[in-house]
Amino acid sequence: MKLTNGFNVSASALTAQRLRMDVISSNIANAETTRGKFVNGQYEPYKRKMVVIEPIQPSFSDVLNAQISGSERAAGVKATRIIEDSSPSKLVYNPSHPDADEAGYVKLPNVDVMKEMVDMISATRSYEANVTALNATKAMFVKALEIGK
Amino acid sequence: MNLLNGPVFKRLEGAISAAELRQKVVSNNVANADTPNFKRSEVLFEELLAQQMGNQTSQINGKRTDSRHFVIGQSDSVPGASIVADANTVMNNNSNNVDIEREMALLAKNQLTYNYYIQQVNHDMRMIRTAIEGRA
Repeated sequence: MKLTNGFNVSASALTAQRLRMDVISSNIANAETTRGKFVNGQYEPYKRKMVVIEPIQPSFSDVLNAQISGSERAAGVKATRIIEDSSPSKLVYNPSHPDADEAGYVKLPNVDVMKEMVDMISATRSYEANVTALNATKAMFVKALEIGK
Repeated sequence: MNLLNGPVFKRLEGAISAAELRQKVVSNNVANADTPNFKRSEVLFEELLAQQMGNQTSQINGKRTDSRHFVIGQSDSVPGASIVADANTVMNNNSNNVDIEREMALLAKNQLTYNYYIQQVNHDMRMIRTAIEGRA
């Protein structure tokens, strides 16, 4: 039945939004991490991570089936990559910090907690919208079972 | 005799599968609400059906004595639902044009329409059952 595919579409979005949420949590948790990576004998601060999401491109068999049985192309969404924000690290003067350089400056991660909170709200709302869509599909499925009763 | 093969029932069947397809397409729009460069799609069915039926009311009907004859006038065929992408509008600054409020409203509307169609199917079947059993 066609309706079951609607579940997959919504489920793929739930997965993608959950991943966004995980990455945002990681960014907030590491907002003060000065030892994110060890490169060439020196610690580098944590870099802010971002999720790249794309619509799922239908496979060959999907396209073929769609052409045979009528037009259907909705396929959902998927997170394809996690990339690092390349914006410069924050420099804070704190000579007593163990990772301070000769001039007394510490490199802090390029994480803006405010920005992360906004992204988090966006991810939460998207997640909720997709749960609503999933519930609507479910209600329709249950209703279809009533045919002929 | 056309109990369950009549044009009304076929139209209902087409409407139900169109509603299912629309559910999937709207779900996909909601799923891609944050995807850059995504363009929303829409399902056309009721409009196509109204178009087809509206064109036929004033036309003459040809009687078909062979299945290979062309259909003149009113046909039993139900138009297939078609997906159209709305590629021209822009909503956000990432070229995405999903308006989440509108999609959720369409979702609710589609769900109610679907329930209505199912109820109509059940009603038709109950009427047939009444006819078979010969009692109300």
